Amino acid sequence: MNIIIIGNGKVGYTLAQFLVKDGHDITVVDNRPEALHRAGDTLDVMCVRGNGANVKVLMESGVENADIIIAVTGNDELNMVCCLAAKQLGAKYSIARIRDPEYTESLQLLQKKLDIDMVINPERAAAQEISRLMRFPFAINIETFAHGRVEMVEFRAESTDPILNTPLARLHSRYPHVQFTAIQRGNSYIIPDGASLILPGDRVYATGDRESVTHFFKQIGKDTERLKSALLIGGGHVSYYLSQIIGGMGVYLRLIEIRHDKCMALADKLDKVLVINADGTDQEVLESENIADCGALVCLTDRDEENLITGLYGVRRGVRKVIVKVDRINAMDVVGDMGIDCIVSPKLTTANVILRSVRALNNSRDSVVEKVYNLPGGAIEAYEFTALEGAPYLNIPLNQLRIRKGILVSLLVRDRKCIIPFGSDHIESGDTVLLIARAGTVVNLEDAFDIAEMKK
Amino acid sequence: MNRKLTFHLIGKVLQLSGLLMLLPLLVSLIYRSGDTSAILLAMLVTVASGSLLSLVQPTRDTLRAREGFIVVALSWVLVSFFGGLPFFFHGSIPSLVDCFFETVSGFTTTGATILTDVEALPRGLTFWRSFTHWGGGMGVLVLSLALIPKMGARSIHLMRAESPGPSTDKLVPRVSNNAKILYMIYVGLSLLMVITMLICGLDLFDALTHTFGAAGTGGFGVYGNSIAHFDSPVVETLVGIFMALFGVNFSLYYFLLRRNFKAALGNSEMRLYWAILLGSAVVIAIDIMPLASVGFYSIADNVKAGGNFFTALRYSFFQVSSVMTTTGYATADFNQWPQLSRVILVLLMFIGASAGSTGGGMKVIRLQLLIKGMVRDIRRTIHPKSVDTVKLDGHAVDENMLSGVQGFFFAYIFVLLAALLVVSRDGFSFETSFTAVLATLSNIGPGLGMVGPVGNFAAFSDVSKLVMSLCMLIGRLEVFPVLMLFAPDAWKH
Repeated sequence: MNIIIIGNGKVGYTLAQFLVKDGHDITVVDNRPEALHRAGDTLDVMCVRGNGANVKVLMESGVENADIIIAVTGNDELNMVCCLAAKQLGAKYSIARIRDPEYTESLQLLQKKLDIDMVINPERAAAQEISRLMRFPFAINIETFAHGRVEMVEFRAESTDPILNTPLARLHSRYPHVQFTAIQRGNSYIIPDGASLILPGDRVYATGDRESVTHFFKQIGKDTERLKSALLIGGGHVSYYLSQIIGGMGVYLRLIEIRHDKCMALADKLDKVLVINADGTDQEVLESENIADCGALVCLTDRDEENLITGLYGVRRGVRKVIVKVDRINAMDVVGDMGIDCIVSPKLTTANVILRSVRALNNSRDSVVEKVYNLPGGAIEAYEFTALEGAPYLNIPLNQLRIRKGILVSLLVRDRKCIIPFGSDHIESGDTVLLIARAGTVVNLEDAFDIAEMKK
Repeated sequence: MNRKLTFHLIGKVLQLSGLLMLLPLLVSLIYRSGDTSAILLAMLVTVASGSLLSLVQPTRDTLRAREGFIVVALSWVLVSFFGGLPFFFHGSIPSLVDCFFETVSGFTTTGATILTDVEALPRGLTFWRSFTHWGGGMGVLVLSLALIPKMGARSIHLMRAESPGPSTDKLVPRVSNNAKILYMIYVGLSLLMVITMLICGLDLFDALTHTFGAAGTGGFGVYGNSIAHFDSPVVETLVGIFMALFGVNFSLYYFLLRRNFKAALGNSEMRLYWAILLGSAVVIAIDIMPLASVGFYSIADNVKAGGNFFTALRYSFFQVSSVMTTTGYATADFNQWPQLSRVILVLLMFIGASAGSTGGGMKVIRLQLLIKGMVRDIRRTIHPKSVDTVKLDGHAVDENMLSGVQGFFFAYIFVLLAALLVVSRDGFSFETSFTAVLATLSNIGPGLGMVGPVGNFAAFSDVSKLVMSLCMLIGRLEVFPVLMLFAPDAWKH
């Protein structure tokens, strides 16, 4: 597909990087020559310099043949105007990043009038992600599939867990309703089979429907008790959305923000939150708020370094759940070694969300891509497909389908029911299929199977 | 430096250039010209060497700008060396240095020759010699990019290093598609020229070889007296027009095909290019009018004396088009023309054709930028606090690009003078030495004096020939990729 990305910041660049790998033709528009040089030197994309709302610039970028236009500049208003102009000039689908809470209330109206097909709000998406993480305090990461029915929970295997050093095939008979979809050991990723073992320190991805997953964690003795209180550091957009989401859930919420005017504005808009005007990175302040007893510490200031240092302090003081916002994506690996497991990056989330919908737009013959989730590190992806009528792999038991090496058919969802597939199960049309594969190996559901080999 | 990737890519390019020798092999089989075994042997050696090199498996596929430059520069040196093997194995050019010079001259589309009698060469080798022009014109690497899928994600660095002009803009997002589009335009225009030549009555062999020479703006002739052999005003004019067309930025043809007439016809570089070309042709035509009695020193077999202004224009247009596009075909011995005409032609050698064309020289766009930069500096001297940018086609030119062009200009002159110093050791006249170096650096071919349109480069010493071979490569790859090979830093990890 021809895709135009307006704004080559962190989000724009990450998007371009992934979309080029997916085989799309990308044009990047930005006003700053330095940003364009970086994209032009390292990615196979076309660069156009100029304002993305300018008709001439859009024409130069080939807007009349564009399948998707993605406006991710730092400016909400500019993003809206870009989408409006591009749609008028013939772009087929438009995606805009709009993050100011002032607009979220009138979003439907704006979206309709400006003809924006999809709006992405990274701060709100990040807030939703954080609220999910707070449900399972031990989880590093939670991703949902099949409209929230299926959950994939990443957790760290402790030396006391009863699931260690047992072949997965045996674990399976013990916990029949969850599937172990991937294991991260150090820097390598394993797509497991029946003989794989889980070792202490591994990061394990367990998948299943919501109830089964919760039950499973209770069974292996993980702490599934809900958090009662949370301390938020930094009063940005994420904090605002997060307070809105969890404020009503009976969590005792305190928010520390250093700027007085921001505190005033937040106190104005939010009811169920205690707003404190102080420096949240100051340990005195944290101690006076009794940090050790706090259920969750969420660091959301604008500066990655401050978030990390405050987060580390929280880990040392024994906070049950520490969640840190980090925007510099390449710092992710380093951070993981420091003892902070839960890292949220609104920018990466944005890129991931847009990536999913682009892939979903790119529907193939035999299946519809509903969702693609890039496991942290990027080596493995989870794909959610809907199998369509007439596909060659339908109604064939899985042990007769030749599944390509390194691909795991993880779950099927049929009639809202979650099925952990065995060799005798088969895929029916309309099923939601969850696949785990090395990144970039699968585009269609059909790619997972060696159809030609089967016909012999 | 990512050595493994560098070797791997160079290996691929060598393989491809070895496969290109299939064409002369075919020609040699058809005409039974006695050079089949030499070409076959050279082809096997080239493909084998390329395959060996490409066996090196790269561990990382990150291609940075420096590797891009090194791959391009080294590929050109090696392709030229291996491309010279057919002449060596056949024995028609006994010295390896001469073989190298002749092939570099071919691939860089210079057209400078050390052969005293080109007609003695067997047909297969003649075909290969002309074909190197065509392959080198658009670039060996660009051809590889078009043909070999996935030469690494950052192949833009290869294209940038090989494509002439101060900035390489993409037409479509993917590098490989860009390369394909450029080659399609190139092949299309070449086909058009072959057909035109066939209609003019040339046989297929002549039509093909002369098209290769004109399309690549190379200028190797098949006959001793170049295009004048045909002694036909129609052929001359058409070849002159085609040469001029191949000297235009190929992106503009793409815009034309896309019906973006504004971008295609409003391009200021193209306008200046045609203005200089046609203006020079008219001035020279007036200047050489008195030479009607000697037939304008035409190099055709039967020179007819006499002629009017249009006869003069016929000769001046052809020579101007040939020199400005840096082709080097000739129909008249411009070495004997009046001083003004000769000086104009030497200046045209400096300027060269357009960026993004197959032509050499400094490129019209650089002249444009240098002059605009100079005008701005004058304005700044008068109004020291004025803030203004240099604009080109309505866009402000990046200051880095401007200083890059100024640096390029100096480097060009520096290389010219340094090479002149070495070549002058051979003891030929200043005119001969200077234009020999300029004609090789700007990829033209013939110069003035001993290396004029009827002369050749055979008399130079081996050292001079190697220096001039280097000049041709430096000129074709626009100085820095080749100079970079001499920087120790470039080779470090």
